[in-house]
Amino acid sequence: MPTLKLQQLYALFLLLAMMLLAILVIYARMSFQHIAQRAQDEADRAARAEIVRAVDNLGLRLRTIAEHLAMWDETRQHLANPEFYPLWRDVRVRDTGALPTSMRIALYRPNGEILAREPAAALPARLPHKGDAAALLKWDGAQPWLYYRFPVRVHPDADLILGYGVIRLDPLAEIRNLGPFRYADANSLSLVPGAVQIQRIADLAPYLQSRTQPNPILTAALDEVRRLSVYAALLALGLALAFLYTLRQLVVRPIRRLSAEIQALRDNPQAQAAGVAGYSTNLFELQQLRRSFEEYHQRLQQLHQEIQRSSQQFYQQARQDALTGVYNRRAFDEDRGRLEKDKRVDECTLILFDCDHFKAINDTYGHPLGDTIIRALATCLTQALRADDRLYRLGGDEFATLMPGAPIETALVVAERCLEQVGRYDFSQHGITEPVTISIGLAHSRAPFDLTTLHRHADLAMYTAKRPGHPKIAVYEHTLGGLASLVDNREISAVYEAIRQPQMLQFRYQPVMRLSDMVPDYCEALCRIRCDDQIIGPGAIFAIVHNRRLDVEFDLAVIQAVQRDLEADFPELRQGVSINLSAPGIVNDKVIDALLRLRAAFPTHKLVMEITETALITQMETASANIGRLREAGCLIALDDFGSGYSSLRYLASMPVDMVKFDMSLIHLLDKPERRLHALVEDIVRMVAGAGYGLVAEGIESASLLDQVVALGFTHGQGYHLDGLQSAAGRG
Amino acid sequence: MALMFMVMLSPGQAWAELVTLDLQPGLTARAEYRPGAGDKPAVLILHGFLQTHNFPTVHNLAEGLAAAGYSVLTPTLTLGVTHRRQSLPCEAIHTHSREGNMREFDAWLRWLRARGHRRVVLVGHSLGSAELLLYLQARRPSAVAHFIALSLVDTRSDFKANGLDQLRQTMQQRAARGDRQAQRHSLSFCRNFNAVPQTFASYLAITPDSLAAAARGLPIPATFIMGGGDERLGSGWIDRLRGTGKTVIVIPNASHFLDGEHEFELIDAVLSVLKQIA
Repeated sequence: MPTLKLQQLYALFLLLAMMLLAILVIYARMSFQHIAQRAQDEADRAARAEIVRAVDNLGLRLRTIAEHLAMWDETRQHLANPEFYPLWRDVRVRDTGALPTSMRIALYRPNGEILAREPAAALPARLPHKGDAAALLKWDGAQPWLYYRFPVRVHPDADLILGYGVIRLDPLAEIRNLGPFRYADANSLSLVPGAVQIQRIADLAPYLQSRTQPNPILTAALDEVRRLSVYAALLALGLALAFLYTLRQLVVRPIRRLSAEIQALRDNPQAQAAGVAGYSTNLFELQQLRRSFEEYHQRLQQLHQEIQRSSQQFYQQARQDALTGVYNRRAFDEDRGRLEKDKRVDECTLILFDCDHFKAINDTYGHPLGDTIIRALATCLTQALRADDRLYRLGGDEFATLMPGAPIETALVVAERCLEQVGRYDFSQHGITEPVTISIGLAHSRAPFDLTTLHRHADLAMYTAKRPGHPKIAVYEHTLGGLASLVDNREISAVYEAIRQPQMLQFRYQPVMRLSDMVPDYCEALCRIRCDDQIIGPGAIFAIVHNRRLDVEFDLAVIQAVQRDLEADFPELRQGVSINLSAPGIVNDKVIDALLRLRAAFPTHKLVMEITETALITQMETASANIGRLREAGCLIALDDFGSGYSSLRYLASMPVDMVKFDMSLIHLLDKPERRLHALVEDIVRMVAGAGYGLVAEGIESASLLDQVVALGFTHGQGYHLDGLQSAAGRG
Repeated sequence: MALMFMVMLSPGQAWAELVTLDLQPGLTARAEYRPGAGDKPAVLILHGFLQTHNFPTVHNLAEGLAAAGYSVLTPTLTLGVTHRRQSLPCEAIHTHSREGNMREFDAWLRWLRARGHRRVVLVGHSLGSAELLLYLQARRPSAVAHFIALSLVDTRSDFKANGLDQLRQTMQQRAARGDRQAQRHSLSFCRNFNAVPQTFASYLAITPDSLAAAARGLPIPATFIMGGGDERLGSGWIDRLRGTGKTVIVIPNASHFLDGEHEFELIDAVLSVLKQIA
């Protein structure tokens, strides 16, 4: 059913009501007209009866008049002596009332001759009647005349006829005067034109015709019905208009206003309902509807507010990191997207924070403590950031903050404040004895921003900061482009491809010189990947490997590639080779098994497994067991990068390694002028050496530095200065 | 003269015969005849001016006399109307005359004689008695033994004596010239007496003087029975009648029509007169 407006519905109802009323009125009028027609038929019959009765009365009257005239002595007087007959006819008859003035009389002798000539021949000179006819009708043009004949005798019973009297009269006028007529319209009385043959007065009746007078009662009733019909129509119209006005005032207008208000509320849900006082309606139901609507609206507003609160809560929760309470990755992405579209910001700095060695801490102390560290870091960073800065936890131990409108200098100040705040925090309260540090990467850009690129730049800067020997705060510069591999899809793909196809791996075998005779003792396999005529260096490779947790797989690929080169009998590898193992690799059985197989394949070669000290921290027992297995198989274990990361002498004391490789940052201290630094290095060397470890110095880049390490008692050394010496010896 | 008799039955009353008398072609007079004892004089009673024998005073008196054994004839003057049955209105066109009336008296007296009545007593009422008085004066019929005038009027006129004579002469002259124009005049109690000059002139002859003179010169006994309360009579008229030497009977308080309670006094008075005749 189509939707109807209230007024349309009312108009439809009104139309139907009007039609019903009209049908009722028409039916009533038709019924009344039927009754009126019946009454009219009765009236016609009554009118006809009146005419017949009037004709009878006319006959009776004429007979009475005629009898009187016939018996009147003066009639006989003038019939016998017509000397004063005209006077009698014209005066006496009138004066005595013997004959109405509407009639005229003439006397005829028994032989039919008129007693005296009639003026204007009003009556014929001879008796016009034939036979015994008492009545005769003649037309004078359109005027009918009735001639009534009566005999004049000596006395009524006498046979002798003294003469005849003839009365001429206008039958129609006489009949009209014999009224009153209740039904017949005397004025319309007429005779059927043409030959009217009558013998008696009564014979006139069939030739008379007349209209029937309108029945005054019926006419009045019909007028009343018409008037009532009009009144009913007017009353119905008036009632309809009044009802329409009332409906409009009491129902339609309030409903429209209510509808408009609902519409306004739909457009502006926060607006308040106008309230009952906003407009008046006297209809209880509408007032109830209004109150119900207001209550509903209030309830709706409450629900809306609750939903808004919940939505806000959900929104905040969706944007809030559950662990730390700071903004999460979703919030970061949203803010980043908004910032990209904000044309008002002309520059922006992105700061990335990452906890150093967090995985090792997490693995060592367990996840609950790791979470505590994360929360503590979040607290420190929040305290260090500016009031309006937002701290985002992007995942794990990685945090970020966006600083729209902030120049790099401002951001650096904030970053340093963060670094200091973390440094001041007492993590020992949570049972952690190792220092907890963070690396901070910053990237700055001017509008228009490409925050994806900015993020990658900040990532590179942070990775730089994470690298051993680098400041913990790094600002992205173009020179850091080499680290782009971390975020370079092409390089990531190359790393994955190299894992699947180890032949892609190429090595630069850097000799590790035995310092006592300056002969290469073995070579350290420094891997690289050739990709589309480009070489991906170890910095980029290990950044991707560590970042993608590909340590074990990459270790296996390296072992396989080194075995390939060994089998190929590379000259550099004839004395032996050292392989860098990742921390996950040293505790992985597959890696250990591969190394054992390599050991078995090349039993005469010197195989050195370089592990970082961080690897020892995690799963110390497993690592120790595996190291033991490798040592039993004839492999040597070198602790790599000593002095660059964790430097726990306690761990070193218990480490089942054969050599300790001093990180170049430590070795390079020997080039520093400060004596204190020299003494420090000397003490460490002496201490490590005293523990029975072989000592390997990395980063020997000059002859002086070589001399110093030799002097300190290092057994082995490596660096491009030694590479040059080895090449010259080779060439020599 | 053809006679036609008609018999009327009047329950409780004497037998009355309706008789007609053809006076001339087309003119027939009507009368009632009540036969009585042969030894008593017949009584002819004449109605008043323009009346008929059905006038109550005449009718009742006739009944009374008939009941007393007298033969009574009550004719109706035709006044020119054949078979006249109705009183003739003053306004009717009058072409009759006293002369015509006297001829009818003659005819009726002959009719009585033909019926065997040798002695006749004439009784007239009102102006009818005046006409009979003048008739007796003029014709002196031998059969009439006595004349009784009831309520004899003096025919008072608006005209003065000389004026009346002049009018009568004028009417007579017009009649002599054949003037037949009917005009309305005042005659006795008829204020609109519509008559031709001849008729009017003939009735203008009835004057108090002519009546008094006729009474005085009447050769037969005559009795005047007058109503003591007759307001139609002129002042001193009864006395004047007494001065004629004739018998005058006055019925006290009786009106001009001598009717009502005076009806019997009238009959008694007439019978007393008739007994004297016998």
